[in-house]
Amino acid sequence: MNSTWIVAEKELLDLRRGRLFAILIGFLAVATLISVAAASADFRNQLDAYNLYVANLATSGSTVAAAAPQLFPLKLLRGGVEYLEILGALFAIVLGYGTIAKEKHRGTLHLFLSRPVGRFAFAGGKVLGLSIVWLGVVAALTAVSLVAVVTIGHAPIQGIDVARLLIAGGFAWLYLVFWTALAVGLTALSTRLSTGLIVALVIWLAFVLIIPQIGDTMDPDNQVPGGLFATLQIQKPDELAVLAQFSAFDGIRNGLEASSVTKHFERLTFAFLGIKDQYNQQPLSLMWAAMLPYAITLTAATLAAVVFAALATTRRTLQRKQS
Amino acid sequence: MTTSAISTAALTRSFGAHQALSDLTLDVPQGEVFGLLGHNGAGKTTTVNLLTTLLEPTAGDAMINGHSVKTDAAGVRQSIGYLPENVQFYDNLTLLENLRFFARLSGLRRPDARIRDVLTFLDFTGHDNQRVGTFSKGMRQRVGIAQAVLHAPAVLFLDEPTSGLDPEGVRTLRETIVRLNHEFGMTIFMNTHLLSEVTKTCTSIGILNHGRLVHHDSMSNTLAAFPADESLEDIYFQLDSAAV
Repeated sequence: MNSTWIVAEKELLDLRRGRLFAILIGFLAVATLISVAAASADFRNQLDAYNLYVANLATSGSTVAAAAPQLFPLKLLRGGVEYLEILGALFAIVLGYGTIAKEKHRGTLHLFLSRPVGRFAFAGGKVLGLSIVWLGVVAALTAVSLVAVVTIGHAPIQGIDVARLLIAGGFAWLYLVFWTALAVGLTALSTRLSTGLIVALVIWLAFVLIIPQIGDTMDPDNQVPGGLFATLQIQKPDELAVLAQFSAFDGIRNGLEASSVTKHFERLTFAFLGIKDQYNQQPLSLMWAAMLPYAITLTAATLAAVVFAALATTRRTLQRKQS
Repeated sequence: MTTSAISTAALTRSFGAHQALSDLTLDVPQGEVFGLLGHNGAGKTTTVNLLTTLLEPTAGDAMINGHSVKTDAAGVRQSIGYLPENVQFYDNLTLLENLRFFARLSGLRRPDARIRDVLTFLDFTGHDNQRVGTFSKGMRQRVGIAQAVLHAPAVLFLDEPTSGLDPEGVRTLRETIVRLNHEFGMTIFMNTHLLSEVTKTCTSIGILNHGRLVHHDSMSNTLAAFPADESLEDIYFQLDSAAV
C-alpha cells in the first residue's frame, strides 16, 4: 500500500476520534445551519406574505396582478459562506497546525522518519487526509443547507441551483485546503511549535479580516446601508461615470481586495450563488467568463500552498527542524 | 568470523560551533547487545539519531547492516527498528491500529498475523482494541518495542528504553531485550543511564564523554580490567573522569 495513503488513512481515523475536531466541526456546522435556517425562515415569511397578498386580492375581486417579490433561494446561504470564509479558514489552520504539532510533540515523527517511506509521503498523507476531511465537511454542510432551504424556506430549487451550489462548494473546498496546507507547511518549518501557529494566525488576521475589511470600508456602496448610489437614486451609468473620476482610488481598493485569497473566494461564491445581485439569474457561462480570473487565482493559491506544505515537510526539512 | 552490524568511521556531527559527536569509530558485531553510556549531553542521542538516519553526519560515515547512512539511508531504514525516548504514539488509535500503521509503513502488506505473533512474544495480549491513550508508561514501552520489531529488523536501536519505568517495567524490558537477542539474534544498540541494566543486559559497552568515545570493549573485558570488588558504576566514573 502506498505510504501516502497509509498516512492519510491514519490521519482520518485519528481526526475522527479527536475531541477537538468534533468540537470545531460541530461549531461550524451549528453556526452555518442557524444562519441558513434563519434566512430560510425569513424567505418563507416573505413568500407567505406574498401568497396572502395575492389571495386577498383575489378575494376582494381585484384583477390587478401583484408583482412577485425577487426572491433568490441561494442567497440564503450567504451567512454560511461568511462563516466558512472566517471560521472555516481559522479551523482549517488549527487542524493543519495540530496534525503536524502532535507528531512533533508526541515523538511519533521520529518513528515515522526512521521508516523506509518516500520523501513526500508525510506531507502528502497529511494534506490528502485533511483534504478528504474538508471535502466531507463541505459536502455535508452543502447538503444540510440545501435541505434547510427547501424544507424551512419552501424555496423552489432547480437543477441549475444545485449546479451553482456544487460549484460554490468546490471553491469552498479549495479555500479550506489552502489554509490547511499553509498551516501544515508553516508548522513543519517552525522549530518551536507555537511559531507556526502564530505566523499562520497573523496571515489569517491580515488576509481574512483586515485587508477585506479595509476594502469593504473603502467601497462607496458600503458607506450607507443599502449602498450610496442606490440611496441617492443614482442610475448605473451615472454611478460608473462618477466612479470613473475616482479610478485611482477604486484601483487601490480593488487591488487591496484582490490581494486577499478570502476576497477571491467571496467574489466567486457570491457570484455563483447569486448573492451579488448583478449575477442573479445569469447563465453559468456568463458567470464563468466574469469569474474565471478569480477561479484561476484561488486554484493557483491552493496549489501553491500544497506545494509549499510538501516542500516544507520533506524528510530533510523535518530532520533539520527537529535537531 | 563475525561481521559488523554497526560500523562507524570518524562519524562526526556539529550543531553550529558545538561538536556533539567527534570522530566516532566503532564496530558492533552482529548479535551483540551494545550499551552506550555517558552523562547528559555526552552525545548518546546524537549518535543514535545519526545511526537511524534521523540526522545527517557532518563528517564520516556509518554502515548499518551493510548500508551506508550517507549514501543508502533507505537501506538503513529497512534494516533497523527504533524506539525513541518517551515516545507517546497515537492516543486515539487502538493498539492494533497503531501497530498496523507502523507495520504498513515498514512494508508489511497484511500485518495482523505478524502483529499477533509479536504481541504474544511480548506477553502483551488482550489489549488489541484498547486505545493507547489509556495505557500506562510500561504498556506504552511495550507498544514501542512491538512497533520496532514488527518487520524483524537486523538491528534494534533503543534510546533510554528504561526511562520513567517502574522496577517491574525495567525488569520486563530487560528480559525482552535479552530474549530478542537470544531467540532472534537481533543486534541491539541502546543508550542508557542505568548502569545496573547494562551489566545485566549488554555484551559490550562504550562510554562517550563530550562527544568522544573514551572506552569501548566487551563487558567481560571491562569488568576484568578492574578489581573484582568495583562495581560498574565505579568503573564508569573512573573511565569517564580519566578522559577529561
